[in-house]
Amino acid sequence: MKKETIVFLMALGMTALLAGGCANKEVVKAEEKPAPTVKQEAPKAPEVVAPKAEPVTPVPEPPKMDEMQAVKAEPVKLVLETVYFDFDKSDLRKDARDVLNKNADMLIKSADKAKYRIEGNCDERGSAEYNLALGERRAKSVQQYLITLGVPADRLSIISYGKEKPAVEGHNEAAWSKNRRADFVIEK
Amino acid sequence: MKLLAILIVLLFFSASHAEEGRFAEVLASGTRQVRLAMDTPANRENLPFPEINKEMRETFLFDMNMSGTVVAFARDSAASPGGLSAGMVDFSPLLAEGYDLLVKSEYSLKGENLVLEYRLFDVINKKLLLSRRYLGTIREIRYFTHSFANEIVGVIDRAGGKGCFTSKIVYITTSSGNKEIAIMDWDGHNFRQITRNGSINLNPVFSPDGKEILFTSYKNGNPDLFRRPLSSGVDLKISSRKGLNITGSWSPDGKKIVLSLSKDGNSEIYTIDKNGDNPVRLTVNPAIDVSPVFSPDGAFIAFVSDRLGKPQIFIMNVDGGNVRRLTTLGSYNVTPAWSPRGDRIAYASMQDGFQIHTISVDGSDDRQLTASGNNENPAWSPDGRLIAYSSRQGRGEAINVMRANGEGQTRVSQGNGRATQPSWSFP
Repeated sequence: MKKETIVFLMALGMTALLAGGCANKEVVKAEEKPAPTVKQEAPKAPEVVAPKAEPVTPVPEPPKMDEMQAVKAEPVKLVLETVYFDFDKSDLRKDARDVLNKNADMLIKSADKAKYRIEGNCDERGSAEYNLALGERRAKSVQQYLITLGVPADRLSIISYGKEKPAVEGHNEAAWSKNRRADFVIEK
Repeated sequence: MKLLAILIVLLFFSASHAEEGRFAEVLASGTRQVRLAMDTPANRENLPFPEINKEMRETFLFDMNMSGTVVAFARDSAASPGGLSAGMVDFSPLLAEGYDLLVKSEYSLKGENLVLEYRLFDVINKKLLLSRRYLGTIREIRYFTHSFANEIVGVIDRAGGKGCFTSKIVYITTSSGNKEIAIMDWDGHNFRQITRNGSINLNPVFSPDGKEILFTSYKNGNPDLFRRPLSSGVDLKISSRKGLNITGSWSPDGKKIVLSLSKDGNSEIYTIDKNGDNPVRLTVNPAIDVSPVFSPDGAFIAFVSDRLGKPQIFIMNVDGGNVRRLTTLGSYNVTPAWSPRGDRIAYASMQDGFQIHTISVDGSDDRQLTASGNNENPAWSPDGRLIAYSSRQGRGEAINVMRANGEGQTRVSQGNGRATQPSWSFP
């Protein structure tokens, strides 16, 4: 083979290697901002309440051991049910009070005494500004009721998101009724 | 945006009062509108710059037609340079075409450097009314054109003062996914996002000197109130009290902020210093109290309260006394905005969707301005002639502008995402 041909083939080979190496490389722009999803910024715990979840028995059975050792019960994260509200209202319906009675029971009986944040929300109708205050009223309503049932006040904090964090997208009562809510989120 | 240009304004001929009186008569009588023609801009070196001509015309005509003071048209004319003095203009064809006013312009572009002259002529009296010469860069061509439009408006409607077209609007955009703050020229150009915290950002408001933005953000986990000087990218946290720190707005002298805080049990109206200290409580009521705004004379505060059951707009003295109800039409009235002229308040009324109304400060003469779609968060222009607002028609949401009487409803916001909660700067 001629020298020039070898050089040419080597150059071709190098180019092919480089091209192959570059083909899959994406230019990554330095992100100066965090990911634009709200969920990453808001201090939400990984355990998010599923509205339809059945209440879980808070304390598991201690495993039977051969040795007579006391085994510490694993703290189980409570699943506290969401409560819902009527349009433009913050008072607790009967079904809301039933749910909160159960939630209070679990909170009082749980071993780990974890703290929870009650998050008040509104549906998309109504003004954003007024709904920030209405969401807070709903969260407060829930907080007050739980305290009267004996849940220690220092285990409950509140926040309002107004209509900024809908649970369900949609422009009808089916969606709206699911967004007028107070969620329970565990605090770290 | 920093203005790097040297702006030299040479006033050659001041406006003659007799001629302005004639325009005021035409406007007041309502028999017909003042008609203005804008001749094709001329390039001094006779070089063709169709993009520049287009930019000047679009900017100028949009401003003048929104102002409500004239009906303005582009007039195709031989764009010969050097024809800027009254003696060199042939007014007869303009008279025949029914024009009252003529705008001629001439510019010279050397590299980036721009010299731009605008002149306003009275067609009937064949007189020069206004002349301006601007020096700067090509990037300022819209700004210079807006500036001349402001002055023309002030000549035609002297009582109402100069126009507002050099002003800016700050608003909320979802173009990066979540709600962030953005700023744009009043006509939608030069828009840019100014927060990038990935959180929920709400209710941005310009300070009276136009140099700072006040806003609420959840970026620290709680709805806190921040102040951002536009010259920096730094947010100053001015109220992070327990609960809500929301719907902040400025006193006319820029020294105080009025806002809604729920630190004492439920949302109430307070004033604080501009650095966040010295809260003074103004409302004492278990109701929801939000969205306070000062009157332009600093003597009163309008706000939203549901103390009568559903949200209505109330007015109180700046010390919290003498609370009186303003709105009586409909059962859900929110987001008051006090006209810089002091006489009227714009607000959103829930009627099926929301619609924008204005009402006299004594509670009389309520006027509905919008009728279709969902229209909220009205914001007055600094000269009190225009109102910006969020408008949702179908699936999208954008910032629209209209005249204070509801005419001329036009979308101005551009770009992706939803645009809401506008606030207008002072010029």
